[in-house]
Amino acid sequence: MNSQRTLAFAGGLVTVALALPFAGLLWSTPWTRLKYAQGDIAALCVSVGYTLIALLIVMVLGTPLAWWLARHRFRGKWLVDALVLLPLLTPPLAMGLLLAISFGPYGWAGQPLQTLGLMLTNTPAAFVLAQVYAAAPYYIVSARAAFENVPRELEQIGLSLGRTPWQVFWRVTVPLSALGLAAGVALAWVRALGEFGVVLIIAYFPQGIPVKLWVNLQDLGLDAVYPLLWTFFVVALPLPLMLGLASRRQPVY
Amino acid sequence: MRLHCLLHTPVALEVALPLEGFTVLLGRSGAGKTCLLKAIAGLLPARTEPWNGWPPQRRPVGYLPQGYGLFPHLRAWQNVAFALNGARAERRRRAAALLERVGLREFAERYPRELSGGQQQRVALARALAHEPELLLLDEPTSAQDVVTRDALLAELVDLVRAAGVPALAATHDFHVAALADRLAVLVDGRIVQQGSPGAVFARPADRMAARLVGVSNVYRGRVVETDATRSLVEIAALRLAAESCAGIAPGAEVDVAIRAEAVTLCTDGKGWPARVAAVRAEGLQHRVVLDSAGLRVEALLAASLGAPRLGAVLRFDVAPGHVHLMPARPES
Repeated sequence: MNSQRTLAFAGGLVTVALALPFAGLLWSTPWTRLKYAQGDIAALCVSVGYTLIALLIVMVLGTPLAWWLARHRFRGKWLVDALVLLPLLTPPLAMGLLLAISFGPYGWAGQPLQTLGLMLTNTPAAFVLAQVYAAAPYYIVSARAAFENVPRELEQIGLSLGRTPWQVFWRVTVPLSALGLAAGVALAWVRALGEFGVVLIIAYFPQGIPVKLWVNLQDLGLDAVYPLLWTFFVVALPLPLMLGLASRRQPVY
Repeated sequence: MRLHCLLHTPVALEVALPLEGFTVLLGRSGAGKTCLLKAIAGLLPARTEPWNGWPPQRRPVGYLPQGYGLFPHLRAWQNVAFALNGARAERRRRAAALLERVGLREFAERYPRELSGGQQQRVALARALAHEPELLLLDEPTSAQDVVTRDALLAELVDLVRAAGVPALAATHDFHVAALADRLAVLVDGRIVQQGSPGAVFARPADRMAARLVGVSNVYRGRVVETDATRSLVEIAALRLAAESCAGIAPGAEVDVAIRAEAVTLCTDGKGWPARVAAVRAEGLQHRVVLDSAGLRVEALLAASLGAPRLGAVLRFDVAPGHVHLMPARPES
């Protein structure tokens, strides 16, 4: 009983500590003097617009890979697993440098792409590229776990009821893995929207919210970050919160 | 319909069977029965006749797995309508008609988790019938039910399957299911060792493995002492029992002997063999009595009206020659 109380106390303390910075933000925000700095709105549009595009790319490319990893065994699978995790385990700044080395104007891939008209430094495409690299592993790992939780047998029954593998995927696999997929989307959304390190190196422009926050802090001081910081929260959090709440209401099959 | 199936992995299996009415494939757990059904449905790589090489979605089979495999995110009618094409209203109407056929019309809106095991099974049957199969495959149809309701549900299921007019192949280790079959096949070590009517197989199992599968309690290794045209005398430890002669049995030959517990009778006239009562267990309206006859364990199923024998009492028992079934000796695997 006593040890339980100690545990509860320690847990409460950690929770408070975790919440402190957010309480601090509420406390310190100069609510009467909030005013966007120049370019803040543009940064918001850049972040939301390109993050949505990056998210779409991550889902379109990541879903088949996640399904393949969940449903197939093959030699060297561990290598594919490791490669998927690699961008996640690489420090963001290092990841940015790696992308600059490959896709920069003098990079082995960047140079030929540039002659084809695709410039991957300081362009919208570079911005999206950085976000895709930052967010894709999170989505793939979640989606794979979600697919693995769908009983194989239900997919097989779907087939034996005369449906094609494609129909079975949409009518059985996706509905039954929807929560896990949604968690993956939410995670990828937050990662992509908040990505700073990778973006900073290869796409300083166009400026999204994270880089603009950094610029505001450097050029104008701490007071200039509050409006955009709040905007950031308001934009980033609804999607994951909604999905989190939905998952609590979802009946357990 | 004649079925042939050759499977290498995960178990080696070759099965050739005529399918008519309700056919039961009886085999031990782990004998590869599920693999066989999946192979027939095209879900495992195998040679199958008919439909060799067809993808599962083209095979006209209705597969009911163990646990029924209903889609948990769909209501009963949506489960049934899964295989149906057409407008939503039309699919709904046809699904309702199929649910009516299995007596579940009023449960159309329920999710699988809101249905009992037996109801889930019937939804799964309706769903399989919606696909208009030429063959139904049932995997362990009694596994998810408790013993109390099992027999009634099973009889109901078999009636529904017969009414559907589609041949069915049920794989099971449960000889209660086998007893209801139109035709019974016994699977041992990856091949069919015996097939025929349940009555024939139950009365004359082909070998000791088949005997165990059809629920024979007493299986012994014995030796033929003498034999003539009608009777053989077989020696089991200290017992000597008369049996009906069968082909290929010569004096001195080792045989396996199968005696159903129901066939063991008590003697009050001083004949028969002495045995001590080692255990008594009530089994419905009967008593299952374990007798110890000079170290040989003999199970007997006695009517409860005879009264429960006292533990340790010495009785005399016998078995009519017609119930002492001789089989070729086969190593216990």
